[in-house]
Amino acid sequence: MIKVLHMYYDLLNLYGEQGNILALKTFFKNQNIDIEIDNLSIGDDIKIKDYDIIYLGSGSDENLFLALEDIKKYKKELKKYIEDDKYLISTGNSFLLFGKSIDDHEALNIFDYYAKTNSERLRCHSFMQYKDLSPIIGFQNRKYVIQNESNHLFKVISGYGDNLKSEYEGVKYNNFYGTYLIGPLLIRNPHFTDLLIADITLKNNYKYHADLNTNEYKAYYEYLKNFYEK
Amino acid sequence: MKTTFLILLNKIITFICRIFGKQASVFPASIVRKMDNDILTKITYPKYVIGVTGSSGKGSTTSLIAHILTTKGLNVVWNNTGSNVVNGTTTLILNNTNPFNHKMKCDCLLLEMDESYIKQTFRKSTLTHLVITNITRDQPARNGEPELILNKILNSIDSTTHLILNADDPFVNRFKLFHQGEITTYGIDKTKYSLKKPLSNNVDAAYCPICHSKLKYAYYHYGHLGSYTCPNKDFARKVDYLATNVDLENQKIDINNETYNLNKDVFFAVYYTLAAYTLCKVIGLTDEELKYALNEKMLESKRLKTYNFNNREVEMIESKNENNLSYLQSLNYINNYPNKKTIIIGFDNVSRRYKYNDISWLYDVDFECLDLTNIDKILCIGRFRYDVYARLINAGIPEDKLILVPDKNEIKNILNTTEGTIFTMVCFDMTAILKKIFMEGQND
Repeated sequence: MIKVLHMYYDLLNLYGEQGNILALKTFFKNQNIDIEIDNLSIGDDIKIKDYDIIYLGSGSDENLFLALEDIKKYKKELKKYIEDDKYLISTGNSFLLFGKSIDDHEALNIFDYYAKTNSERLRCHSFMQYKDLSPIIGFQNRKYVIQNESNHLFKVISGYGDNLKSEYEGVKYNNFYGTYLIGPLLIRNPHFTDLLIADITLKNNYKYHADLNTNEYKAYYEYLKNFYEK
Repeated sequence: MKTTFLILLNKIITFICRIFGKQASVFPASIVRKMDNDILTKITYPKYVIGVTGSSGKGSTTSLIAHILTTKGLNVVWNNTGSNVVNGTTTLILNNTNPFNHKMKCDCLLLEMDESYIKQTFRKSTLTHLVITNITRDQPARNGEPELILNKILNSIDSTTHLILNADDPFVNRFKLFHQGEITTYGIDKTKYSLKKPLSNNVDAAYCPICHSKLKYAYYHYGHLGSYTCPNKDFARKVDYLATNVDLENQKIDINNETYNLNKDVFFAVYYTLAAYTLCKVIGLTDEELKYALNEKMLESKRLKTYNFNNREVEMIESKNENNLSYLQSLNYINNYPNKKTIIIGFDNVSRRYKYNDISWLYDVDFECLDLTNIDKILCIGRFRYDVYARLINAGIPEDKLILVPDKNEIKNILNTTEGTIFTMVCFDMTAILKKIFMEGQND
């Protein structure tokens, strides 16, 4: 049994991010592995260490700061969780919570990056490079830019990086994946998701079977055909 | 003098455009506003300048208000072409203004308004009344997040505007925290259709805007609309006009112990009827006048565009991309149909306003609520058919219900292999293509 936490499911879930939870359900189901999903938020007593995967999505500014005030009480546990090499996937503005600051608000300070409001909202389609995988598809709709010197997740093929000058986007440290790409990333990038699923599957002593013929792969290749290869 | 000239110019351009068969709802003002961007500040408006805004339902609400007020005998100028952006509104106003004294020739100006354009259209004190139907995630690539929509509206009005608010929407209800002017609210009582829990986790405005505690809901109607209260009593739903005894099968609701007809058997008809009722009460209509307009002279519901395809009925439901509530309304409508049905979903482009093709919103639409009992097949069409297909699979819809249509020319042939009434829930770009197919089908 894989235990998944959708953390602040009712605050950080602005751009169809429940799709990422559906992706975990579908991908693990394809491996015949049971998963249990807990939707927890402010007011709940969250046992961080109990989970194999923690997911956080995007929120409005108001909700982001509500989550920030609450998440501070889990700082120690989250730091240990990340150091223990467990999976934490944070998409959209939620990954700013793990840096030093968001404008004048002190954040968790687990990583060194910090976020500042950009003078205009940044919106764009994005293609990103992750290791030697084919492009990662994503969309950005962001208020903040970040300054980050290390632990880059993606190299930008097109779209915005961490800030207007950076050629990198997002943060990866152990199995912490933080990116400003929004929406159902894990559905839209089955090749990327499969990498994570394979690793988690093997670590938990299950067998992993590759299947590159799923609906998600068909949608992925169709999108590349329409928007990347043209 | 210049204003007189510009009003005349607007009328002449409109006239010429119409000779050439053009609707001319936007073009005339696009010329006139280049010569005077502030032309609308020079107009003398009628006693009532009513705006209707919100993420969805504003068109139906505006039509019904227009019907009630004209039935009462008022001369109403309203944007029945649905052109709700600045140039469309300006063309309408100037075409209904006396060029010499610059006074509008009507008792009431009634406008369906895009929330982003209110500020660009009017000075803050122009709107006498503003109805706000709901605020949900809507076109996020343009609007960002729902909080920003709320702020846009707040920055467009001042205390002279009387707000008519849907108190079932905690976002809309936030206006009472900021608005200094008069406010009247409406809401729907618990019904037999009410839900104990929301359909999914994508609920906006789940927390109290004052103490930030999670709002407690007694019931949900749909999305984040329902009856809620802050556990610390900092924020509550207070309803001035409550719809009770909602009976969709017989298309009736009660308001203030009087029974009114709904012109459609769908839940959102309760909202637009209640919104129109509340606005009309606020400006002084009596129960008798409302009963006459709503019951005896009932506005014939704009039938969905229906066609006949090989002796099967086709109902075309416009579903606005990037607006989960609009799609949810379409799903509810289809669920209500009790017999065999086939559905067509899909799009080539996400928006006609911009080139972004973000599909995140597909995962905010609760396709999970689709009742599969009488569904024969669901056709996924358009450039994003694979994404739609993947979304439906992830909503738990079995693969044998789904058909990927690789080529639009195949739609006709594939439809012939399916059964039941055909429902299309598509956006602007596919509507035209499907209409053509069904029109041809009528002639076959």
